[in-house]
Amino acid sequence: MVAELDCRGKRCPLPIIELSKKIKESEVGQEVLLISDDPATAADLNAWARMTGNEFIVISADNFLITKSN
Amino acid sequence: MGIITAGKYEGQHPLHPKARQILLDAFDQGWADPTQISSQGRQAQALLLQARESIAKSLNLQVSEIELWGEPELISPIAIWGAPSFGTAPFIYGATERSEIIGMRAKSKQSFEISVGLDGAIDLELLTQTLQPNSIAAIQSANIETGVTQDLKAVAKAVVAQNAHLHIDATASGARFVKPPYWSTLHFDARSWNGPSGVGVFALKNGARWSNPLPHTRPTRAPNSFSIPLALAAASALEHWIADEAANSTRLKSLIERVRNHVKQTIPDVDIAGNAESTLPNIISLSFLNISSEQLVAALEIEGFSVASGSACVASALEPSHVLKAMGLLTHGNMRINLNHDVQDGEITKLLALLPGIISKLREA
Repeated sequence: MVAELDCRGKRCPLPIIELSKKIKESEVGQEVLLISDDPATAADLNAWARMTGNEFIVISADNFLITKSN
Repeated sequence: MGIITAGKYEGQHPLHPKARQILLDAFDQGWADPTQISSQGRQAQALLLQARESIAKSLNLQVSEIELWGEPELISPIAIWGAPSFGTAPFIYGATERSEIIGMRAKSKQSFEISVGLDGAIDLELLTQTLQPNSIAAIQSANIETGVTQDLKAVAKAVVAQNAHLHIDATASGARFVKPPYWSTLHFDARSWNGPSGVGVFALKNGARWSNPLPHTRPTRAPNSFSIPLALAAASALEHWIADEAANSTRLKSLIERVRNHVKQTIPDVDIAGNAESTLPNIISLSFLNISSEQLVAALEIEGFSVASGSACVASALEPSHVLKAMGLLTHGNMRINLNHDVQDGEITKLLALLPGIISKLREA
């Protein structure tokens, strides 16, 4: 079951902070749909995934599917 | 305070005290028009000539190669615009160039952005493949936000093979700039050597082809409407900066290394831009995961450190730094340290003692 995290209207770095919290509470393999319209989110997700070892795919300009990988 | 962190584009240290004195004297005496043949005009002309010679010598350039400009931000766009075939030939620039250089793509029929790696170095293979005869390449010597330097020797080798125009933005390196074996135009800003704002140096290599793209009726390479007192202060500041650098360069480099090592060892989840071998000795850029730059800046301010940041939420822009983004580094939680020669070792010791606690407190909140 994909968990949804709606961060629309929230500015950087709130979407990444909220995603970090959500992922921390989740089991490995959990998928999270992050909805964020902040222009920094896409760039920061790349860095976040590299730093934390998680994976994500870009679904659309403001929809990102993250998988907790470790 | 010897530490500052750069604003979105440019860090500025206080004017060198000797340059400040020259500036005050010059304004007190009043400055005549050096093109007039009055005795004050002749005196102004002589002082200006001295200043130009001094600047050229300090930057290891010929006097005939330099022009002073009163609006430094215009130098790179005009240097690129005046390159032979600019507009029709491919305009090639690095992804971490300054915005006004990247913006020149709008004036060119063909343009190519050369990507950079996680270390900030441009993709030399892509640059070599993209270059064509008569291309105009704009590659910075170093980046003002991260301090990352480019391998200009390798860039020059690729550009000369195609007989292309090489414009180098040296505004971040300033007097630390080392000329590669081949270049066409250069851009310096007096602020980089603690000179006044409002004076820049445009260099055109002797023998290189370039024509002033601005409307002009006389064959001039520059408008020459810069302020003479500011030019004299810029020349004086440069001389003093070079002397101070000789005494402090090793110390600054080791202070930056202390910051790099201490932060790596004591703070998890941090992106440090570039590596010790390929960054300027006085700049370091740190991005902390899950930190709001705005709160970080405020917390450091309470402790007496006046810092700024390039993160979108602090730079009052919605778009994050194009430099950090191009490198694939975290764009939030960013702070930049840009050391001036007068920094005290104790300031860094204090900053490093405080930083881990500030970060963990902000992360818990």
